[in-house]
Amino acid sequence: MPGIFTAPARGGDPELLGGVCPACGRNFFPRPARCPGCLGPVDEASLGSRGRLYTYTVVRVKPPWGLPCPYGVGYVDLEGSGLRVFGLLAPGALDELEIGLSVRLAVGELGVDLDGRPCLRPYFEPAR
Amino acid sequence: MAKVFVAGVGMIPFGVHAGESLVDMAGRTARLALDDAGLEPGRVDMGFFASATAAPLFKDVTVGQNVFWQVGINRVPIFNLENACTSGSAAFFLACNAVAAGQARVVMVVGGEKMCVPGAGLLNSGATELDTQLGLVTPASFAMRAARHMAEFGTTPEQMAAVAVKNRRHAALNEMAQFRQPIDTAEVLASPMIADPLTRLQCCPIADGAAAVVLCGAEEARGNPRALAVRAWAYGTGDYANPQDMARWRTDYRTCAQAYRLAGLGPDDLDLVECHDAFTIGEILHYEALGLCPSGGGGPLAAGGETALGGRIPVNPSGGLLSRGHPPGATGLAQLWELAVQLRQEAGPRQVPGAGVGLAHCMGGDKDGDSKSCTVIIMNN
Repeated sequence: MPGIFTAPARGGDPELLGGVCPACGRNFFPRPARCPGCLGPVDEASLGSRGRLYTYTVVRVKPPWGLPCPYGVGYVDLEGSGLRVFGLLAPGALDELEIGLSVRLAVGELGVDLDGRPCLRPYFEPAR
Repeated sequence: MAKVFVAGVGMIPFGVHAGESLVDMAGRTARLALDDAGLEPGRVDMGFFASATAAPLFKDVTVGQNVFWQVGINRVPIFNLENACTSGSAAFFLACNAVAAGQARVVMVVGGEKMCVPGAGLLNSGATELDTQLGLVTPASFAMRAARHMAEFGTTPEQMAAVAVKNRRHAALNEMAQFRQPIDTAEVLASPMIADPLTRLQCCPIADGAAAVVLCGAEEARGNPRALAVRAWAYGTGDYANPQDMARWRTDYRTCAQAYRLAGLGPDDLDLVECHDAFTIGEILHYEALGLCPSGGGGPLAAGGETALGGRIPVNPSGGLLSRGHPPGATGLAQLWELAVQLRQEAGPRQVPGAGVGLAHCMGGDKDGDSKSCTVIIMNN
């Protein structure tokens, strides 16, 4: 999944990569080719790595993409941009999930890609 | 004065129709609708066929022409329409436009789906979408709405289960429904968890099925005492604005308000509602968007029995998607079938006494935490 997160060479948190429209200042995740408001090109922009869990669920049916069973997903209100983004939640932290939880972005091998090969996916984990 | 009328409807029981092709199911249903309308096939001068899965499951395209030719309809314009869960009702929207514009005098809309086949899987928003690749399946998107609704309004699992219990009680009276055995709250909550807090009995099953509606203009309706007036047909797509309020679905509220405005009616004028109860929380959200109760009041409304047959405003007297099953191409038309039967006072043991005005509400597709389509149709007798 290229272009949706940065993985720092060493130390530091990975950051979510989205877009910002240079004309109207609107933020996006993921980054669209054009701003739907201004129709101009959208610059790449970091959306940071922290936020709060707005809502979540734990999916207990057979997972798609070789994801673990069960797996958690949720919407996170990002600090800074104000965007509410959908994402996976850390497989090891399903018992800690609650609305309002402070989370931060992590990146790890999680499931497989469209061709069935293991791949990295971004997910949110509790920020301790 | 209404310009568009429903002249007849047809439907086959939803369930497993092994050994019958999509075209055969849909053709059989189209014939029922023509008979109900008392019209010869030659009178139909435009046709729409709705299906969401014919292309991905069977690699079939332009299925509609095959369906309409099965009932002797050729030469006239036929359109094939995919619009996820609102495929059927969105086709109905276009058919209304065609009649209202005078482009056609009699239009038939047929919707069908054959889903009970190996490899059908759960519906999602498209394999190449980022949300899908990050694990978004349809039950999860409604489960997240449920979690938010519970946190903001104190909605309980028991209140959500009440929707499933009610709709199944209605389905016991509807031979078109797939699941007709009564269930109770404990059973609903004890069924396997699909996506917290939604259990299996709170998620609509798949089905094979077909439904059809014949529409006509005022002149054709004059000779048909069973014709019903279409008072409003509204169709809204999402605003996709970020952030989305997942406890108050803006696209839902906006489209419902538009339909009321077009009809010159409000929630107090309705005698019955068929709404998109793909998940129990969905019906609760739609109560609120439809103005049947204030925002946040959907849980108590469901649990209090006001939306059951015999209550203030019966919702899903057919048993809804939860009991029928959900073949997307047919669902929106199956809702209209129920409205027609009710408004003609032909619903037998589940008749809403004296039903005069009915509303059908359908939603489909998922994008950026919003819905890609919402249709609201209001009819009266």
